[in-house]
Amino acid sequence: MTEVSPDRTASRQAGGIPPPGEDWIADLTSSGPVREDALRRLHALLVRGARFQVSRMSAMRAVVGAAQVEDVITLAADEAMVAVLSKLPTFEGRSRFTTWAFKFAVLQAAVELRRQAWSRREVPLDAAPPLIEPRPSPDLYAEGAEFAAAVRDAIDRVLTPHQRRIALALIVDEVPIDVLAERLGTNRNALYKTLHDARSRLRTHLAGQGYDVAPPTRSREETR
Amino acid sequence: MTADPRLPTDAIRRLTIDPGPWLSCDDCFRLVDRYVEGLLVRGAEPVPAELAAMPAHLAGCSACAEEAATLLLLAATEAGIDPAPALERLPVP
Repeated sequence: MTEVSPDRTASRQAGGIPPPGEDWIADLTSSGPVREDALRRLHALLVRGARFQVSRMSAMRAVVGAAQVEDVITLAADEAMVAVLSKLPTFEGRSRFTTWAFKFAVLQAAVELRRQAWSRREVPLDAAPPLIEPRPSPDLYAEGAEFAAAVRDAIDRVLTPHQRRIALALIVDEVPIDVLAERLGTNRNALYKTLHDARSRLRTHLAGQGYDVAPPTRSREETR
Repeated sequence: MTADPRLPTDAIRRLTIDPGPWLSCDDCFRLVDRYVEGLLVRGAEPVPAELAAMPAHLAGCSACAEEAATLLLLAATEAGIDPAPALERLPVP
């Protein structure tokens, strides 16, 4: 069932966290009680990963309610189990197996909880009114207000209607990307590409107007 | 910056952040386990070339960033590593 990469051992030792002694791949691709035990351990691991992800999404957990949260965890772990087992041949050993497996549970739990939390909420998909102010307010003279006005102007004038709608839904209305993708019948990649292109277009326009646009990334250290 | 109810200050920053090189959410998912383990074990060393697009993606995609932070914490627990320094270096939207 599993095609084990010949350089797996080497790559495990070359990078990432040193793997523990247990050999998940061997156990999961064996048969009989060894495999049954490995499957049980894997499912428990995925439940733990899903539960931890859900525990970190307090606002959405509160909307969904305790009973439904348990369903989300169970569903996420079950779906992650299927995903992990089907993707097992692609595991290259470039990270710990447990980290690799956890990511499926984390993704499934986060997506499902976002979906449940927004299931009764409307997603604002109509064209938002123009952001450009007809008359500059006195605030415009405050520090940074000119840049804010330039951004509003650029959103209205430079972005395509689709880019504008997606960017405002994701960033201003904070609609989760999975939820927006589901409502629009598309996927996370496509929406992120739209946002990526919208940001590039805004930055090019603003830079052309002489504005110093935001730096590329920041970490928690830099947000203080 | 002046608060604008239609376009809050933080939204302006997130709309104009440098999107960096293109990396899809699927590719982020494919790489995220290696990326978070790298943060845990390599410390402040530069990110390997194959993971170079990860910081900008995580800074630009709040869903992927939220999931990466959880994965980092889980991986740290499994490995018995203090997650705090790595978590500090994880890009945030």
